[in-house]
Amino acid sequence: MKNKKAKVLAVVLFLLPFILTLASLSIGRFHIPPKDLGRTIIQAISPSAGPEVSAATRDILFRIRLPRLLLALMAGAALSVSGASLQALFKNPLVNEYILGISFGAAFGAALSLVFLGKNFPAQAAAFIFALGAVLAVLLISGRFESHTVSLLLTGVIVSAFFQALLSLVEFFASPYALQSLFFWLMGSLSLATWKDLSISLPVMAVGVAALILMRWRLNVLSLSEEEAKSMGVNVRREKLLVILLTSMITAAATAVAGVIGWIGLIVPHLVRMMVGADNRKVVPLSAALGASVLIIADDITRVAATFEIPIGILTSLIGIPFFIILLRRSGKVWL
Amino acid sequence: MIRAFLILLFLALGSPPLFCLQSSGSASQRVTDSLGRRVVFPSRADKILSLQPEITRIVIALGAGERLVGVDYFIIKHDHLFPIIFPGGRKLPAVSNTPEDMNFEMVMKLDPDIIFVSPTELQMVDSLQSKVRRPVVALASMGSFSRLLDEIKLLGRVLGREERAAELVGDFLSRVEAVRKSVSSVLPGKKPRVYMSFWGSLTRTPVTYEPVDIAGGINCAAGILPAYLGTIATVVQLEQIVIWQPDVFLVQGNYPPRERPVTVEGVLLDKRFGSLPAVRNRKVFYTFGYWYWWDPAEVLIETLYLARLFHPEAAGPVSLETEGNEIFKKYYGIEGGFSSLCRVLECGRWDEK
Amino acid sequence: MSIEVRGLFFGYEDFRLSVEDLCFEGRKVTSIVGRNGAGKSTFLKCLAGVLPVPKPSLFLDGRNLASLRVRERAKLISYVPQELVLAFNYSVLDFVLMGRAAFLSPFSVPSREDLGTAAEALHFVGLEGFEKRDFSRLSSGERRLVLIARTLAQSAEILLLDEPTTFLDPKHEVEVMNLCRKLALDKGKTVIVTLHNLEMAIKYSDAMVFMKEGRVVASGRPDEVLNTDLLEQVYDIPMSIVTYDGKKIILT
Repeated sequence: MKNKKAKVLAVVLFLLPFILTLASLSIGRFHIPPKDLGRTIIQAISPSAGPEVSAATRDILFRIRLPRLLLALMAGAALSVSGASLQALFKNPLVNEYILGISFGAAFGAALSLVFLGKNFPAQAAAFIFALGAVLAVLLISGRFESHTVSLLLTGVIVSAFFQALLSLVEFFASPYALQSLFFWLMGSLSLATWKDLSISLPVMAVGVAALILMRWRLNVLSLSEEEAKSMGVNVRREKLLVILLTSMITAAATAVAGVIGWIGLIVPHLVRMMVGADNRKVVPLSAALGASVLIIADDITRVAATFEIPIGILTSLIGIPFFIILLRRSGKVWL
Repeated sequence: MIRAFLILLFLALGSPPLFCLQSSGSASQRVTDSLGRRVVFPSRADKILSLQPEITRIVIALGAGERLVGVDYFIIKHDHLFPIIFPGGRKLPAVSNTPEDMNFEMVMKLDPDIIFVSPTELQMVDSLQSKVRRPVVALASMGSFSRLLDEIKLLGRVLGREERAAELVGDFLSRVEAVRKSVSSVLPGKKPRVYMSFWGSLTRTPVTYEPVDIAGGINCAAGILPAYLGTIATVVQLEQIVIWQPDVFLVQGNYPPRERPVTVEGVLLDKRFGSLPAVRNRKVFYTFGYWYWWDPAEVLIETLYLARLFHPEAAGPVSLETEGNEIFKKYYGIEGGFSSLCRVLECGRWDEK
Repeated sequence: MSIEVRGLFFGYEDFRLSVEDLCFEGRKVTSIVGRNGAGKSTFLKCLAGVLPVPKPSLFLDGRNLASLRVRERAKLISYVPQELVLAFNYSVLDFVLMGRAAFLSPFSVPSREDLGTAAEALHFVGLEGFEKRDFSRLSSGERRLVLIARTLAQSAEILLLDEPTTFLDPKHEVEVMNLCRKLALDKGKTVIVTLHNLEMAIKYSDAMVFMKEGRVVASGRPDEVLNTDLLEQVYDIPMSIVTYDGKKIILT
């Protein structure tokens, strides 16, 4: 019976992001009733069907809301899958997707671009490059030691701190006007997502997430000690590197476009494990689905709650943390 | 009779202190600043530390620029207007490097009689006052002409330049009035709805911007609650701009061209704005916008510029550049000031279609 | 399948492991005994390929082990360490299933066949019915059995078990050792275990290897090789061997 319940849950979780996306297209300061929504979509496919929908409605739907929702979907999935994978890799459920320095690397890159480089170097590209740069630094520095997970984590903390210091330095030299855009980026926002931004970041995230979902069973094995995994025929060094590169790629791609959105990669995999257990064959894909849903809901809230934009990173923290505490206390168990 | 006269004489000679007290006026003045603080400061100030660029500019306009002992980092490092209106100003010490830090020792050394700060940098004010024991006044126009003029009058009093202040205020009011008159014949229904993209972001907009109002436009974002207390800015959702369907889209042009995060070209090419009347009719323009509050000459020129933009039929015969230079000469005593500014910001080409 | 060790050297800090010439016979249970720090675990780890050995010294039926890639090696040799790192709570079956890693690419998921092999392994160690139980909630003894099931699922010919009976109660100790014998006899595996319990070693091994300070002091069948002088040499305390009820008992 437990099996059936689990199956139903899995199906619900998988369908949820798509249902939410469709529903969210209606939601916003400008409420588009489902009827108009349907009409607009149909007209996009065959323009002559039915009375014209206003250009404003069409633009809002397809050029503002749809890219934003797709970004929420993909970034939510990417951050959650990244968190789940790294938790398995580092054998530590407290690890999050930013542990290898990605958030501060990306922030520094964006700051550099916004303050010094201007339009020659768009902030997204700079953020992506420096995010990966941070991870590379972590790998190179900790590679001098015996790629122990502890040394990777420690190096991640150090590299993060270093980029944080660099970030402060850039902020120090910036005019207040440049700082304001940076500030918003640091707190996470899906508001300025354009199709152009998505045309690069969505495929990158999709490929990475798909690859990690394929590796979902392997993550079980990688969550054992290195000795065990190696004796079971796993080229630990190589596969660990692969996972780190994939997670870094998708996290950097998400962060470059949406800013730093915290807590998703930590909380979503936990929630999933509480529901279905630790087997990554279930945890990884369900984290993708749940993460997508969570971020879509969070984005819906930011769009409806007030006239101005609440940065989504603040929302995920404010809601995510207490919610998580409640769940922990209810279930009585910790991750083990 | 003589006795009475002698008594009177004695009284008259014996009471100079009373007269002195009164003739020196009140040795101090009280003002309620923009943060609602009541500050007591000397009625005459010889040394002014201005950490508020708007105030700095007013001090210069009042001809008291030599009384500035120090300024803030923004005006030295990031302001392109300052070297135009006060060429010697670059040599002034900048007392802070960022909004948060402040070189208290330098402040003490400079020994100002009064310190002006911006009301949005809240942390500074009380800590500064308690540390340096000088009067600190937080003042800014906050997007209102009347407050700007009050500042000019206050500083006129403090600097002993009341006449000059009155002259500037009078000039300002008369020019604004002229603009108001020229657009007064426009019917309310024909007033363009204006959206302003300020502070380098498509979605950040001021909830109040008087030049637009005076020039006969309607600010789309009027009446929205500001995003942060004590400021006049808010961040709207992109959708909201599309819903508003503004007739005119203004982009802050006070950044030098290569530093502009948002550009007119960018807005015209942005497919999300395709339905906006402003984009369809190519009514997307640069305007000056806030630049650490206002400069009185610049904002005056901006009002004239916007009036011409919104209601070209109401424009006078004089070209904007000529009038602009005239205003800069009046306020700062320099020749070709507006032209110099246009060289930096390329504002001569702003109203090209 | 037999393992030959020829000139195995491994050193770290002050410790030197040196095994000149040793052979572990196929289809037999060999136990490695000695004091703490004698190098038993280190030796086992070298055999397992967990520790890198400077020059090729391990040969499987004549084949140089060092030339094999990690995956191929895992199909021949499996290893159960002494300590477990347990960060997540997997089910027993999922745990055993991990033993199939050598047969799957990083992007594959276990097939029905793999599941069958895992279930069979569980059955062999006597834990059928335990599939859905939480691994972390099992007793030490049961966990040991699950680990052995995992190595069985790995389908390797050679099983290396590092102190499989430590911390177990006598009943479970006997269960595990019986299992080792069963693996050698019924499945034809070469089982190599490190043990502290001499009596268990004597009773259940076909061959014993005595180690001291990184060197092999003696090796061979228990009844051939065992004597009090050897024991004193290996353990540094006088011991006597007593036979009671057909079983050999060691007294200190």
